[in-house]
Amino acid sequence: MTPILECKGLTKKYGSKVALSNFNLTLELGQIVGLLGPNGSGKSTLIKLANELLTPTSGEILIAGKRPGIETKKLISYLPEKTYLNDWMKVHQIIELFQDFYEDFKPEKAYDMLKNLNINPNDRLKTMSKGTKEKVQLILVMSREADLYLLDEPIGGVDPAARDYILKTILSNYNEKATVLISTHLISEIENILDYVVFINQGQVALTSTVDEIRSEKGKSVDALFREVFKC
Amino acid sequence: MLSKLMKYELKATGRIFLPLFLAALAFALIARLTHAFSAGQQWGTPAVISMVMYISVMVGMFVMTLIMTIQRFYKNLLSEEGYLMFTLPVKPWQHIVSKMLISMFWVVLSIVIAMISIVMIGYRAGDWGRFIGELGPSIQEVSDFLGASIYLYSFEAILGIIFSLASAILILYASIAIGSLFNQHRVLASFAAFIGLNTLTQIITMVITTILGYNYDHNFVINSANFHSMETQIHFFIVFTLIISALITTTYFFITERILSKRLNLE
Repeated sequence: MTPILECKGLTKKYGSKVALSNFNLTLELGQIVGLLGPNGSGKSTLIKLANELLTPTSGEILIAGKRPGIETKKLISYLPEKTYLNDWMKVHQIIELFQDFYEDFKPEKAYDMLKNLNINPNDRLKTMSKGTKEKVQLILVMSREADLYLLDEPIGGVDPAARDYILKTILSNYNEKATVLISTHLISEIENILDYVVFINQGQVALTSTVDEIRSEKGKSVDALFREVFKC
Repeated sequence: MLSKLMKYELKATGRIFLPLFLAALAFALIARLTHAFSAGQQWGTPAVISMVMYISVMVGMFVMTLIMTIQRFYKNLLSEEGYLMFTLPVKPWQHIVSKMLISMFWVVLSIVIAMISIVMIGYRAGDWGRFIGELGPSIQEVSDFLGASIYLYSFEAILGIIFSLASAILILYASIAIGSLFNQHRVLASFAAFIGLNTLTQIITMVITTILGYNYDHNFVINSANFHSMETQIHFFIVFTLIISALITTTYFFITERILSKRLNLE
């Protein structure tokens, strides 16, 4: 089967600064993957390359066997680390926008989650707190039935109670036919939902492993292993 | 997808323009009424104030078309909002075209509103009849003089207006896109790019014109006497100008499209 995400010798330079260098990675469908690494290790760069927000300096990145473009954007549901919501729409209007542009968007799912998090669909995006905006974005992203979810720091800015709800949301919306890639450095928080981890350091893959292997063979938690690998 | 993008662009800009248009018409009406009530003294204080207000709104309306053209492109595509726009399953050229067309639409509509408001202020009973009465014969006169080529001239004029509007908008887009390539001082870089693009366009146009021999300043004299004998040259000249402005417009578009496709550098 074609892997959902494949990087072959992927390299991205910003001027003379190397963000990713000869990065190789293959991810199959049907798992929750943690993309773990310290700040500035290239996590966001990788995710942006997959979304065609950046173009590779050399090498290749393929989504379901295709180079990034319109067809791959239909498959990917992306949560950036920035809040991209504009300041003039109401929540229900941005839901309509998603419905308009993404065929796999399920509005009933979105309204359901809004209700659970006590967010009024008639509220203006402008008047919301940063944390609420992040919740709205996550709701939008998880209400799609995509093949690949790319979540860049999904729990960074929200309170612990919302974190639990978000992780539950990710778990319950994810199906066997999809892959979820979560980039974060808050490892202990998400460790329990991960199937597979990719450690990334200075633009290269430092380690890939299933979480079961780490636990049974090394007898460690992912968090402990991370601290060991990236010891300062 | 293009029509969907245009729908959202229209919504995003309409919420600014529609109130402005309403204000322009309202102030025109107020100016009209205050003027009518201060009938004795020609320019009483209320009439002057309302006229100043009207003119301010008018100026504001046109300044706003410029601001919105710049702001929608920069904010919606190259700031944080770009993370959403560029991950929609849409090609970069569709973003550019949708924004450009909506911008053109507002410019044209602003002009229409300005004309309506002027009529609102200046209209006196019987004006309309006189206007129609004089317009008919004038059109007749022009079309008698130009003959069948009136259609060609009109067509050329419309094309000319479209190209000038498009290139005026696209040079802004191209400048902002070039500015976005820099990690710091983006506004300054955009200004520099604008001046640079303008200068380059002038130089290139001049070079082409000189090379092709259309140094029309001294060998091109048109008056009503030789107009008909010069007609072929006139059309040649117009078509030549149109081709150049189409080329310039395409170049600006191409610069913008390439940067958005290959060198996107979101904040």
